[in-house]
Amino acid sequence: MTPKMLLLPILLPAVLAVVLLLLPRALRLLRDILAVAGAGALLYYAFVFFSVKDLRLAVPWLGMGIDFDLRLYHFSSFILLALAGFLLLITIYTTVRMKDAPRGREFMAYVFLTAAFANGAALANNFVPLLFFWEGLLVTLYGMITIGGRPTSGRTAVKALLISGFCDFCMILGIGLLWSVAGTSTMSDISVEPTGLAAVAFVLMMIGAAGKAGAMPFHTWIPDAAVDAPVTFMAFLPAAFEKLLGIYLLARISLDFFKIRPGSGLSLLLMIVGAVTIVLAVLMALVQKDLKRLLSYHAVSQVGYMILGIGTAIPVGIAGGIFHMINHAMYKSGLFLSAGSVEHRTGTTELKKLGGLGREMPLTALGFTVCALAISGVWPLNGFVSKEMVFHGAVETGSTIFAIAAWVGAIFTFASFLKAGHSVFFGERSKEVPAVKESQPAIVLPILVLAGLCVLFGVYNKLPLTLFIQPILQGRGEAGAHVDFTAHALAVFNPVALISIGCLVLAFLLHAYGFRKGGRKAYLASEPIHNLPGMHQAYDLAEKRVFDPYDQGLKVIRGLSLGLFKGIDRPIDFFFEKIVTFTGAKFTGILKKAHNGHYANYLAWCLAGLIILAGLIGLLAQ
Amino acid sequence: MIILFIVLPLIVAGLLPIIGKVSRRVLPDALANATLLALLVYAVVAGRGLIADGPVLQQLSWLGEAVNVRLALDGFSLFMLMAVSLVGLAAGLFSIDYMEHYGAKANFYALYLVMIAGMNGLILATDLFSVYVFLEVAAIASYALVAFGLGRDELEAAFKYLMLSVVASAFLVVGIAVIFGLTGQLDFAAVAAGLKEVNAGPVLGLVTAFFLLGFGLKAALVPFHAWLPDAHPSAPAPISAVLSGLLIKVSGVYALTRIFINVFGLTPALSAVLMALGAVSIVVAALLALGQKDMKRMLAYSSISQVGYIVLGLGIGTPLGIAGGLFHLFNHALAKGLLFLTSGSVQQATGTRDMDEMGGLAKRMPVTAVTNLIGSLSIAGVPPLNGFWSKLIIIVALVQAGHPVYAVIAVLASVLTLWYYLLMQRKAFFGKLNEKWAAVKEAPFWMTAAVVLLALLCVGVGILFSSTVTTWIQPAADILADGVHAATGSWGF
Repeated sequence: MTPKMLLLPILLPAVLAVVLLLLPRALRLLRDILAVAGAGALLYYAFVFFSVKDLRLAVPWLGMGIDFDLRLYHFSSFILLALAGFLLLITIYTTVRMKDAPRGREFMAYVFLTAAFANGAALANNFVPLLFFWEGLLVTLYGMITIGGRPTSGRTAVKALLISGFCDFCMILGIGLLWSVAGTSTMSDISVEPTGLAAVAFVLMMIGAAGKAGAMPFHTWIPDAAVDAPVTFMAFLPAAFEKLLGIYLLARISLDFFKIRPGSGLSLLLMIVGAVTIVLAVLMALVQKDLKRLLSYHAVSQVGYMILGIGTAIPVGIAGGIFHMINHAMYKSGLFLSAGSVEHRTGTTELKKLGGLGREMPLTALGFTVCALAISGVWPLNGFVSKEMVFHGAVETGSTIFAIAAWVGAIFTFASFLKAGHSVFFGERSKEVPAVKESQPAIVLPILVLAGLCVLFGVYNKLPLTLFIQPILQGRGEAGAHVDFTAHALAVFNPVALISIGCLVLAFLLHAYGFRKGGRKAYLASEPIHNLPGMHQAYDLAEKRVFDPYDQGLKVIRGLSLGLFKGIDRPIDFFFEKIVTFTGAKFTGILKKAHNGHYANYLAWCLAGLIILAGLIGLLAQ
Repeated sequence: MIILFIVLPLIVAGLLPIIGKVSRRVLPDALANATLLALLVYAVVAGRGLIADGPVLQQLSWLGEAVNVRLALDGFSLFMLMAVSLVGLAAGLFSIDYMEHYGAKANFYALYLVMIAGMNGLILATDLFSVYVFLEVAAIASYALVAFGLGRDELEAAFKYLMLSVVASAFLVVGIAVIFGLTGQLDFAAVAAGLKEVNAGPVLGLVTAFFLLGFGLKAALVPFHAWLPDAHPSAPAPISAVLSGLLIKVSGVYALTRIFINVFGLTPALSAVLMALGAVSIVVAALLALGQKDMKRMLAYSSISQVGYIVLGLGIGTPLGIAGGLFHLFNHALAKGLLFLTSGSVQQATGTRDMDEMGGLAKRMPVTAVTNLIGSLSIAGVPPLNGFWSKLIIIVALVQAGHPVYAVIAVLASVLTLWYYLLMQRKAFFGKLNEKWAAVKEAPFWMTAAVVLLALLCVGVGILFSSTVTTWIQPAADILADGVHAATGSWGF
């Protein structure tokens, strides 16, 4: 295993992307085989890299401390493995789901290009290559959303690009500050105290990382994309890849680059961002009437748990946050894929039109149910384990308010998934959709694999925790203390777990009450909360995007530009348009009249010039 | 063997009319362009090696007897030779297709090469009388070339050009005679040394004024410019390109700078007069260009304005100002050559030079439109093209030398420049395609190749401006910055 091998996870998908783009439509079978084989090879090498764990490739690049520096160590090898796993599943799914899509070939190429950039970003050990790969993701993000092909897809793509671009811009500023504070751009050499300028750098970089992961208030493009972009994209980028990368970077920032301590101001800031994201996004998710939009708000809400966990700066909380990242990627990806499976067969994801599909699509229903229970944190699935760890971490900080926020989030998460699952797969068979069959194996397989992993990572949580998570935190906390989070992983009889379970019961009761109130219509089960005094108005405003910083920002910019146009631009324009051109034309006219083509005239000028010059030189020479 | 720069084009020019009897097109085309290419290669490849150890001098001899003609090649003259052969070659290539419909190609090339030989001779000359002789050689060839189309306008323009040039020549001869009377010498070095000894005072002032009229008229500085807007547009396009791109610079700016800076020495009074002349030319010609409807006329006025920049830069007299002026001279030669050539393409395709009749030609002639745009932006001084850097250097030099008013004028005039060039772009190339030109086609191969060559040079020099300045401009500027010493010190026989 030579260090040069580290280029493989970047170059292989990049080359594949080009090949896939160039293969003509007639060779679709070859294209699919190539894609799946390529993704398989990447997964194989990800396992190999995971076993190697320690590799570094540093090539001098642009000078001035900017090297092309890739570093494989336990954290990045874990991310690489996760990315490769999702890539394979998404590729298999795409072969069927995007078969007849108008720009399916392009989509596949974007998927692999994204993988190349993401692998590069995970491996980068110098800020400049990191930024190169990180920004490359913007391109594919934009491209993939436009493939949605709806009239508003383009606008949503621009919105996603601008919001992500803003976050990346903040990150670039932060990196610049950190670079000047630390004096190096080699990531593994940086460890600074977050005070003064470094604290600003931390906040800026945090915006970049959390924004990539989709935390509030940089989330607003995700629900729009849920409608406008292909559902495969949602399972691929916002659910899996962006969470992995964003949280990976956030963890690197708060664990490695900056020494964040429990109870410090920055830790508190992270926890606030996390808690606010959890609660607000889940409240939005609760009242959604479209399965994809509902899922997309959860994709935002769950980021809150990860940020909250990392923000506690307590080992168990951080471990919970990172564990939640990989768990979330699995079940959220599985949920989006199930939604895609439903859409694939029925042509819609509106909760109102669906119902009782469980009998016709049993495998999709099974996968969805497992993933939904996992995200809700039901014992003994993976979501339970990681959420418990985050709760424990939050309680340990002493600021119980954050634990309470997390629990509130848990209530509404379960409530909204009861509503969603109930509306789509259980209850009465709706009459709006004709009879359907289960989706093809290539669609169902990734869903079931992800559901299986959710069970595996829950029941055998020792496996991921010792294999993936603990090495990352080794040597943190008290010196020499052995890190072990498996102790109370599935324990039920402790106050924290009992409260969580109480939350789930509460959520079930809420759903049952709403179901009854809504005339036994599952999709109306959230109406009682929707109609609470004060909440209704807030929801209405949210639906009108009053809280969307992007839309509000656009309004401000529009107003500003109108003001500039009327107040400054027009007067300047008048000056140039009228006054300058008028005087210019006057002078030009006079000069033109003088050039009448008469030889005598011209000769006279020459002689006059001569006399003037002679006089001038004589005058000046004295 | 620096005499090759003069002799080679002269010999070929002599052969061409005879060859023309045998082959009407192919041989004259090939021979003339091969000659120009050889000159370019010689200047670029061998030239820098030749002057590595200081200026090269050559005493001409006739049948073993030394005659009183000496040639000298230094950094300044090599730079000018390179510019002449480069733009000359581009115009020559352009002529392959463009001169088809004029006929008498061999005669055309013969005149053209005589003009090139005259310019090269002027550049290499080391005495006042040779300067006068070669000036007239180039000028007489150019009168014939302006009239080459034999139309009414061409003849009128050529006649007017001739009549005003004769005035210039007359004053130059008088000036040279006075100098000879004062010092008894004609050789640059000897005159420079002699002028130091005799206290010529007012007489020298008068001679300076005569030379300013003579060379100023050749360089078309306002108020001696009136012939140029008639003469340059009337000539065939490649000749316009060479007249505006080279001739006014060689027989005007080069001769003026060489004599004033290296022989007379730049006095503060002279510097002030040169800068004033430059600034007046910049502004007046830019305003005049703004009012033109005829594309080539607009370009001609623009040449006057840009020569103003060159003289303004050289007139500062500081090393940076001289370097900026010379760099602008080179850049303007490239860009104005390019613009006149593209205007020829347009004229040949549409049969008109009136920009109001054009419109939307970019759709039919994309290469011409793009290269024209590059040339326009280059002259207007838009980064990163070459014209931007030379104007920037001139403006920086003006500020450094303490002439903020001139700096402001230079900046404002470059806005005017951009204005009329964008006007040209809008009227001729952009907008809706005029119905009349629906059948217009892109220019033929050699015409396109020539403009693309110049456009690439404009972009390339802009991007590699620092290496261009160090390899070509700086040696030339060093000679000028050396002042009188360059002539008396290193040219003494």
